[in-house]
Amino acid sequence: METTRQTTTVLVRRIVVTGIMVAITVLLGMLPVGGFIPFPTGVNATTLHIPAVIGGILEGWPVGGLIGFFFGLFSFLRATTPLFKDPLIAIVPRLFIGVTAYFAYAGLKRVNELFAVGVGAAVGTATNTILVLGLAVLRGYMEIGLAVTVAVTHGIPEIIVAVVITVAVVATWKQIARRSGGSSV
Amino acid sequence: MGEFEFLRYVTIGQYLPSDSVVHRLDPRFKLLAFALAVVAVTFSSTYLANAILLLVVLLLVVVARVPLGYALQGVRPALPVLAFLALFQVLLPPQPLGLTGDCSPVFQWAFVELTDCTVRLIVVSTARLVELIVLTSLLTFSTTMTELVHGTEGLLAPLQRIGVPAHELSLVVTIALRFVPTLALQMERIVKAQIARGADFGTAGRFRFIRTMRRLLPLLIPLFLVSLRRSEALIVAMEARGYTGGKGRTRRMRLRARPDDYLALAAATVFCIVMLGVDFAALDQALIAWLGCF
Repeated sequence: METTRQTTTVLVRRIVVTGIMVAITVLLGMLPVGGFIPFPTGVNATTLHIPAVIGGILEGWPVGGLIGFFFGLFSFLRATTPLFKDPLIAIVPRLFIGVTAYFAYAGLKRVNELFAVGVGAAVGTATNTILVLGLAVLRGYMEIGLAVTVAVTHGIPEIIVAVVITVAVVATWKQIARRSGGSSV
Repeated sequence: MGEFEFLRYVTIGQYLPSDSVVHRLDPRFKLLAFALAVVAVTFSSTYLANAILLLVVLLLVVVARVPLGYALQGVRPALPVLAFLALFQVLLPPQPLGLTGDCSPVFQWAFVELTDCTVRLIVVSTARLVELIVLTSLLTFSTTMTELVHGTEGLLAPLQRIGVPAHELSLVVTIALRFVPTLALQMERIVKAQIARGADFGTAGRFRFIRTMRRLLPLLIPLFLVSLRRSEALIVAMEARGYTGGKGRTRRMRLRARPDDYLALAAATVFCIVMLGVDFAALDQALIAWLGCF
């Protein structure tokens, strides 16, 4: 009896968190503020992958992967560039954002949880950048030199934003800061 | 303050009600046919194949009784990007890894060299993009969000036996769609609250991206936390009502396939097989050679 209730709770939790994180992704993609950071290069840096990272870290890799899948689907459906109108590039890399973020986090959790969250966010973001640009090169949309440049100019700011937001959100949500902050009162 | 009415920007499911054949298709069959068409477009990289695809896609728009200008409006925002990419390809020709064999120059001026591979890349990727944009808008114009969700669930249902949670997936989509407007209102509140505290959210311009990034933090962090709190409330509400997953649930709307649906799917399958099976590269060569005679 106890076990049935347990699995149900996990199931409901996973469904709901996935749904809400997908909602945030979709919303940020539509609003004039929040989803994209205009860069001098003309290409925008994005924050849309952060829900997948947070979902993966909070609820495990299946949730992260699923949020990533819907992120990919959404970006495929709304894309206006040839790069993201290619379902291979829009969807496949995004599946792995939350998955790698979760495993990086889970692996380092014992060392220091906050640090693990930060590394998870960085790894998840890097997964997105590297896989998207890598596939872009493989499918002939981009030259390798250009891809590396974009990875550096956009990947690094994206990682910084993702790490700051993820650490702040997860730490507040799990109340990690209170435990490591010295005072336990 | 008008610019912060965020609900304005929420535009999912721009459904165009009509009674066309495309609208009346069973969403399951429509989605399958759509997927087949996307596969056909994604793997077609010749002039001839793309010409055929473009024609077929536009024909579908006419059949669906969607105004042509409406279907093409998604293409407009893509034009500057396309022009930029084309220019880029011309100035810095890419070396696709083993994708193309020998390229011969067709045009040369100063350091700019235009090979037939570059021309093909530009023409084909433009055509492909237009086809995909029109196809996806056609799907959302002719199918309501509810139909899409039910269709996806119906398609995934057979996979339930091997452990694919079809019902749960469609519930995820339903929750996501339900919460987009709610969270838009929430975001509006957060923005207004931060403005009341003296924050400035005008776009800082492309060259001050660090400032834009910093401005995002007091918006996104509360958004995530409020959403997580909402999801906690929803979890409690669902459990309180005894939700235990998809097993044994009945539904109000049932999908039933008609002969038309099978016909449409069969047509899409045959079309996709033809587009992938025929050696369009050879036909393309022949066509170019034939045109070269004039």
